[in-house]
Amino acid sequence: MNDDFHRHLDGELPADALDPAERSRADAWERMLASYRTEEPGHAVAPPWLEQRVMAEIEVIPERGPFARALTWLIRPTPVRVPPIAAALTVAAFAAVLAWPSPGADGPAVPPDGGTGAESVVFVQFVLDAPGAQSVAVVGDFSEWEPTFTLEDPDGDGVWTGRVPVQPGVHSYMFLIDGSDWQTDPNADRYQDDGFGNRNAVLAVGE
Amino acid sequence: MAQVERTDEQVVRDVLDGDRDAFRLLVRRYGDTLYGHALRMTGSADEASDLVQKAFVKGYRKLARCRDPQRVGAWLFRILANLCKDHVRSRRSDVSLHSMAGVLPAGSDPSAEAEGAEIRQKIRGALDALTPEQKEAFVLKHVEGRSYEEIAAVMDTSVASLKMRVHRAREALRGLLEEYA
Repeated sequence: MNDDFHRHLDGELPADALDPAERSRADAWERMLASYRTEEPGHAVAPPWLEQRVMAEIEVIPERGPFARALTWLIRPTPVRVPPIAAALTVAAFAAVLAWPSPGADGPAVPPDGGTGAESVVFVQFVLDAPGAQSVAVVGDFSEWEPTFTLEDPDGDGVWTGRVPVQPGVHSYMFLIDGSDWQTDPNADRYQDDGFGNRNAVLAVGE
Repeated sequence: MAQVERTDEQVVRDVLDGDRDAFRLLVRRYGDTLYGHALRMTGSADEASDLVQKAFVKGYRKLARCRDPQRVGAWLFRILANLCKDHVRSRRSDVSLHSMAGVLPAGSDPSAEAEGAEIRQKIRGALDALTPEQKEAFVLKHVEGRSYEEIAAVMDTSVASLKMRVHRAREALRGLLEEYA
């Protein structure tokens, strides 16, 4: 199976763009799946007694008291949208409080660079298919080209993923496998030469 | 008289306010969807109904943690999907005992069923040999016919990660293609 075959099955490439061998394989794939689906339950209907069983089990669960309900109301997560200017003002207010001189203090408790920490950061999900790897790190200009951010493969299927904080802008990066094997992200949208005969993946992060 | 049906958000709020019978509406709305997925993941009607029952009861107990009551169906589906993966993972040692008994419609013609049954058994065996995550991605994409974007939203993962899992699953079935060529 080549990339075109997968792209076709993913709906990214029409059948007539495949070469004859891959097209024949794609047709075989459809026949195989059709055969499989005919036996698999297409529109499965839950057994009628399922609702009664669920409700019977729920009936014996102790009722939540008014205190628990009130607590739920208090702790129920509610999404809050904060305009960037309000966030910046809030951070500035905290910084001002922290900087207020307290008795015995030698100086303000603000960063030496006077930064407010209000620079926005976007968490970017990185994914690499690296079966057999012992470790995978994403390394780029956002990490000073140090393997600071490691990816994880918790289920052992060889798909390594991780979220990395990146500031808005255009960044170059590579994957570092097992501490020594550099690999370009095969799924990047853009690439650029690194000047040493390799290609860096390019990531554009919007504000 | 027209009856206005309660939205999922209203149902969740009512249940959390003490109207536990309102949870019945969620079972009716999402029971078939959850059951179908459990059936495709396990291949057993008994196991599927047990898992769906567990998922609903767990959902009831944890309902206060549902962050987006408008999408309680997707939240329940995620609970069930995780239970299915755990279940598949726990029984991988005895996949050879797995059968579709109880799923085939009653009165099926044995000779007609026998045709192609062997290859379907091979497909099922190949899928059972995948990791639960890969099998889940394959079932959602190619058996249930969902889009990557839809799966990613429900399963709280990335499209790129899903594609890789589905690609792996396809590679595992590559050898079987010859029989359909």
